[in-house]
Amino acid sequence: MPKQATRRSQNIGTYVYGIVLANAKVTSDERGLGDPAGKVKLVKHGDIAALVSDVNVEEPLGRPGDFFAHEGLLDAMAAKGPVLPFRFGAVLASADAVVDELLAPHEDDFLAALDELKGQAEYVIKGRYVEQAVLTEILAESPEAAGLREAIRGRSEDATRNERIRLGEIITASIEAKRDLDTRLLLDALTGHYVQGVIREPTHEQDAVHVALLAKSSDQKALEKAVRDFGERWEGRVTMRLLGPMAPYDFVTAQA
Amino acid sequence: MSTSVQPAAAGQVGGRGPTGLADVIDTILDRGLVIDAYVRVSLVGIEILTIDARVVVASVDTYLRFAEAANRLDMTQSEKGLPDVIERAKGVPSQDKTKEVVQGVVEAAGDTLRELTEPKRDPAAAAAEPEAEVTVEREPKAAPRRKPRPKREEE
Repeated sequence: MPKQATRRSQNIGTYVYGIVLANAKVTSDERGLGDPAGKVKLVKHGDIAALVSDVNVEEPLGRPGDFFAHEGLLDAMAAKGPVLPFRFGAVLASADAVVDELLAPHEDDFLAALDELKGQAEYVIKGRYVEQAVLTEILAESPEAAGLREAIRGRSEDATRNERIRLGEIITASIEAKRDLDTRLLLDALTGHYVQGVIREPTHEQDAVHVALLAKSSDQKALEKAVRDFGERWEGRVTMRLLGPMAPYDFVTAQA
Repeated sequence: MSTSVQPAAAGQVGGRGPTGLADVIDTILDRGLVIDAYVRVSLVGIEILTIDARVVVASVDTYLRFAEAANRLDMTQSEKGLPDVIERAKGVPSQDKTKEVVQGVVEAAGDTLRELTEPKRDPAAAAAEPEAEVTVEREPKAAPRRKPRPKREEE
């Protein structure tokens, strides 16, 4: 059992970042969230452990540095071994509570999940349409949109409000359709380079693709190359980014 | 304007990689395992974060912005043949149709507004739920599928 007997203050909670195998190594330069940064520790139970740090529950949490610390630690651990990441903001009363209420009741589930994730990490691909390119496409494809554009040319916004709304509506719908198609094309092109995929909701109206992939860490170079090759086909049309390796945030779900 | 693949291993191992705050928030506020409210200690400051603000909703403002962007578009760089397309397509929608469209837009905007202004679920009620279960569920090993946006109830 962890030594937490010296905990005096009721205001200190145990922030939980995620679950790892008990033999995972936390290097001394890993810093937790909070100000000053909490020291990251492992609370072990059998073959599994929780990644935790002390946090003052009376201090607001949610500064940019807190977010970076949460994801930075989990992603660093994910690069070394399997991790079950928790959503930001999980705090239990003490290290004992982590064992009694979290690790012990779910030991088998956590262990099985960690086992299944071994050697894999998450990669996120974000693509955003280049506005000028996608608008040009849409105007070329939709006679109605092209006509509306002519209709509003050189006329005031007030005088052409209806036409503008209709034009914007066509553009929005067209981008949604393109997003669906382009997402399918990308995932097809990457077949064989990932184990599972999740299509994320767009976070910007000009998002072209937003997907999370679970892939073997050993295949990372091949995945990078496949994404780069595919991105070249979209040169000037879509700006692509590949993020990772990350903890598998999109491939663990909790059922309350 | 070009494709930039940010090599994954370069930055993130052992530190914060090339991701910005938006990327991080996207990931850690919305995804990952959740400890049930029943066992969780409440934490000051987290409630101020609203995921809803990032949800992409089509609004009249969006439409107007796109229309203006299309208006400003420099067609000299456009593909050949586009002027022909425009010539063929000249004309505006009939008055009735425009009216219908605008009504539709207003209704949609109303729905959005309701969504955004809907009172948050009472945290006390959430905490009173008897279940204290945290179960792990792996995604089925199947073809990629559209994942429904997680409900924010446990917040």
